Amino acid sequence: MLRFDRRLLQNFDWVIVLFVLLIAAMSVMNLYSAVYQDQFRGTPLFLKQLYFFIMGFGVIAVIISFDYRKFMNYDYTIYGITIILLLYLLLFGLLQAHTKRWIDLGPFNLQPSEVAKLSLIIILASYYSRHDTSLGLTLKELSFPILLTGIPFLLILQQPDLGTALLLIFIFASMTIFVKLRWSTFIILTTIALSVIPIAWKFVLKPYQKERIESLFSPDKDLMSTGYQIFQSKIAMGSGGLLGKGYLRGTQGHLNFLPEKHTDFAFAVWAEEFGFLGSSLFFAIYFTMILWGLKISSTSRDKFGTLLCLGIVSLIFWQSLINMAMVMGMLPVVGMPLPLFSYGGSSLLTTMAGIGIMISVRMRRYQMSR
Amino acid sequence: MKKNPLTDLRHVDEEELALLKKRIETATAFIIIMAALLLTRLWYLQVLKHEEYSQRAQNNLIRVREITPPRGRITDQQGRIIVTNRPCFNVLWYKEDASQPDLVIKNLSVLLDLDITAILERVRQASDQPNYIPILLAEDIDRPTLIAIENNRFFLPGVVIKTVPRRQYLHDNLASHLIGYLGQITKGELKERKDNYYKGGDLIGKRGIERIFNDQLRGEKGERYLEVDSRGFVQRRLKVKKALPGNDLRLTIDLELQSEAEKSLRGKAGAVCVMEVKTGNLLVMASSPNMEIQEFTGGISKDIWQEHLQNQLRPLINKNIQGLYPPASTYKIVTAVAGLSEKVITPETIFYCNGAMKLHGRKYHCWKRRGHGAITLKRALSESCDVYFYQVGHKLGVKKIARYARLAGLGEKTGIELAHESSGLVPDPQWKKRVKNEKWQEGETLSMSIGQGFNLVTPLQICRMTAAVADSGILYRPRLVKGIQHLDAADAIEEFPPKKDRAIPVSPHILRLIRQGLISAVNDKHGTGSEAKLESVTVGGKTGTAQVIRLEKFEGYQEDNIPYKYRDHAWFTCFAPAKEPEIAVTVLVEHGGHGGSAAAPIARKILESYFNIKEK
Repeated sequence: MLRFDRRLLQNFDWVIVLFVLLIAAMSVMNLYSAVYQDQFRGTPLFLKQLYFFIMGFGVIAVIISFDYRKFMNYDYTIYGITIILLLYLLLFGLLQAHTKRWIDLGPFNLQPSEVAKLSLIIILASYYSRHDTSLGLTLKELSFPILLTGIPFLLILQQPDLGTALLLIFIFASMTIFVKLRWSTFIILTTIALSVIPIAWKFVLKPYQKERIESLFSPDKDLMSTGYQIFQSKIAMGSGGLLGKGYLRGTQGHLNFLPEKHTDFAFAVWAEEFGFLGSSLFFAIYFTMILWGLKISSTSRDKFGTLLCLGIVSLIFWQSLINMAMVMGMLPVVGMPLPLFSYGGSSLLTTMAGIGIMISVRMRRYQMSR
Repeated sequence: MKKNPLTDLRHVDEEELALLKKRIETATAFIIIMAALLLTRLWYLQVLKHEEYSQRAQNNLIRVREITPPRGRITDQQGRIIVTNRPCFNVLWYKEDASQPDLVIKNLSVLLDLDITAILERVRQASDQPNYIPILLAEDIDRPTLIAIENNRFFLPGVVIKTVPRRQYLHDNLASHLIGYLGQITKGELKERKDNYYKGGDLIGKRGIERIFNDQLRGEKGERYLEVDSRGFVQRRLKVKKALPGNDLRLTIDLELQSEAEKSLRGKAGAVCVMEVKTGNLLVMASSPNMEIQEFTGGISKDIWQEHLQNQLRPLINKNIQGLYPPASTYKIVTAVAGLSEKVITPETIFYCNGAMKLHGRKYHCWKRRGHGAITLKRALSESCDVYFYQVGHKLGVKKIARYARLAGLGEKTGIELAHESSGLVPDPQWKKRVKNEKWQEGETLSMSIGQGFNLVTPLQICRMTAAVADSGILYRPRLVKGIQHLDAADAIEEFPPKKDRAIPVSPHILRLIRQGLISAVNDKHGTGSEAKLESVTVGGKTGTAQVIRLEKFEGYQEDNIPYKYRDHAWFTCFAPAKEPEIAVTVLVEHGGHGGSAAAPIARKILESYFNIKEK
């Protein structure tokens, strides 16, 4: 039974909720601007996003109602279910001759790759916290976590969803380096990773993916296809200047020059309308939230909680880093949303669930498990 | 004891935890460095390179311009073109490209010879659409205007001439009701369609074939990617995605026969349909008066619409499928079939007609007040004796008559490829109870058996029934589209096979007896349909004269002396050749008077042309 401890409420982390609310407000406001001139069919996107945020707070409420340490008991169950869902999609793809990234559940679609992000964090945190890692991990000790990461990685890669698959590697790397890696192990792994890149370039990457990477280095080569997106995004941001063009006054986004303006390139719309100052403000809020996540991680009383928070911080951090670098033309277009800011229910709910876990850890920092 | 991971946590290795916390500091530093890196890039883009990107944003705009595909052509059954496209020049304006919009409007008003307020009104109407969609300022301008605009482009920043295909009707209003017309898509239609193909301002099929086969005809839009400068002038063509023309439609209609039918209906309100009895193909579907199809292209003014609505000749409706009329004596075919099938009568049964039949003290008159005397089925059909059919109907009862009417396809939609078809009405006691809450009167059965009273049919239903009687009782699905010519499959026509809806469950012998009666009606001395008689080919047919409102005061008047709206509707339905029927022809003339004198001659003209064309 759940006995409610009054200290739980006292230790509730209002700060992170405040950050989420601020970003939510900016996101909805930005979406309104991004699509208000489009000819709508059905519910406007910014309203849908608002509903997703409300659902997200519901998810947080559910998650904080129980002890995060329970996740440790069910780590393999959660992981197993995730793998089954991913396998289902693989089989579906083989049978139907076309691939799908989600499962229809009537009112909404479930994206197993989103679930995979969180269940990987849980299983790695649980695994590392049950092992003494203070002496540094050897290659042998690492083989099991590599396997745990490799299975969902390959399953998501074939969907094909390169962005999410790479994100799993980033989460794995962050958490593993964090729990301490032997230098020798680190060097071996890095060598392997570097040698895999040319092979992957040749055999794994699809032509369109290669094109995107190439266009990064010569964006003017093919203005109409992949270079186009980055080019238009840079024009939108650059023309915003120091102070921006003003809310609802952006021209590039509204002219439909800017592709994916409501999802991956949402930040470009913001940057165009609010300029360098507005973007800096956004950065300040956004990265303070991420750093606050690290603080929660450091105040946890147990290794599982610390690692859990760290995994979630790395999830949000890498996505936002990659997204912004992409929008600013520093990375190829990989299809990575800006967590909490880009339009999209699946990504939003996953991030909110992660934040719920962080709040749960924070609330229970003085509470030992019973 | 089994180890519980939760209890493990109690023994937190404080030393290890401290180590982790130290590493969090490193992570914090890493994140801050990365954020600083991003911020630097942002500074570079937004502050250092601001000038350059602003210039680019203003000067080097990439425009995506839609290419409207030519709509599929519509041809007659032999491939003769009825509707095609011609290039038409529209004036569009990207307002945002003009630094002084007022000046452009002033210049345009001179060149287009339009009032400034009219142009402003168009601009105002477009104010709620996104900036990147240009404003349509003028449609279908002539060549001198086009040249004038091209010569003055420098004074018209943002003005673009778009060449779009426009419907061209090679035979004016021929078959206007079934072809239909195009109009601007409405907000409701945009919402209804889920394919996202259409945008506001696009043309879409609104009626007839244009509407039902819209997705076959429309083709696929193309796009032209252009780089334009700050004045909207094209700097560079980047990429073109070609538009795919729509598929051509081949109708079942015969161009010559259709125009012959329309000619013979000119000046009257009425309908003609001609059906191939062995396929259900409609060679003619004429409804008079025709719509002025050009008036409707691209939207019609409210006043003209109102005028059409109030016109007593009802030009807006397709009378073949939307006009509802009492079938009058053409319905005697149903009564005769029912009587023979239910064995109420035989071909030899004799009734005596003395000009009227008495029922419950009321007299029900025959159209021939002197009476037909002793009469059998064949003569009764031939001379259209009402009393004979009163007797048959009285013996059958309302329910059996209604059953055979439904079997003959009355009271239901024929399922033709057009929208808004009426189903007509086959009355029975249940219907009367439900709608009027009154009991069925026996006298009404008598009216019903000669096709008066509550009966309502469309000309197409009668034509289909005639075709079935002519051809062993099979009801075909009437159709207007023979096939689709896919442009990608060079010249191959995808033909739709004829569709049999069902067979009327009547013995061939009975149908033969009916046909004999109808042949007699056209060919015998006293037959009512003698005006449809041909020299070379034997025709069988039935006349009908549908009473509209019988006012006592017009009793005994000549038709010409009765006000138009009180005159009778004239019917004639027939088939030919008698031996091996090929086509069924049904003619209805609204308020035309007697079927034998007003409708039968029209049917004869059409039959004549049909057989003339065939000989050629």
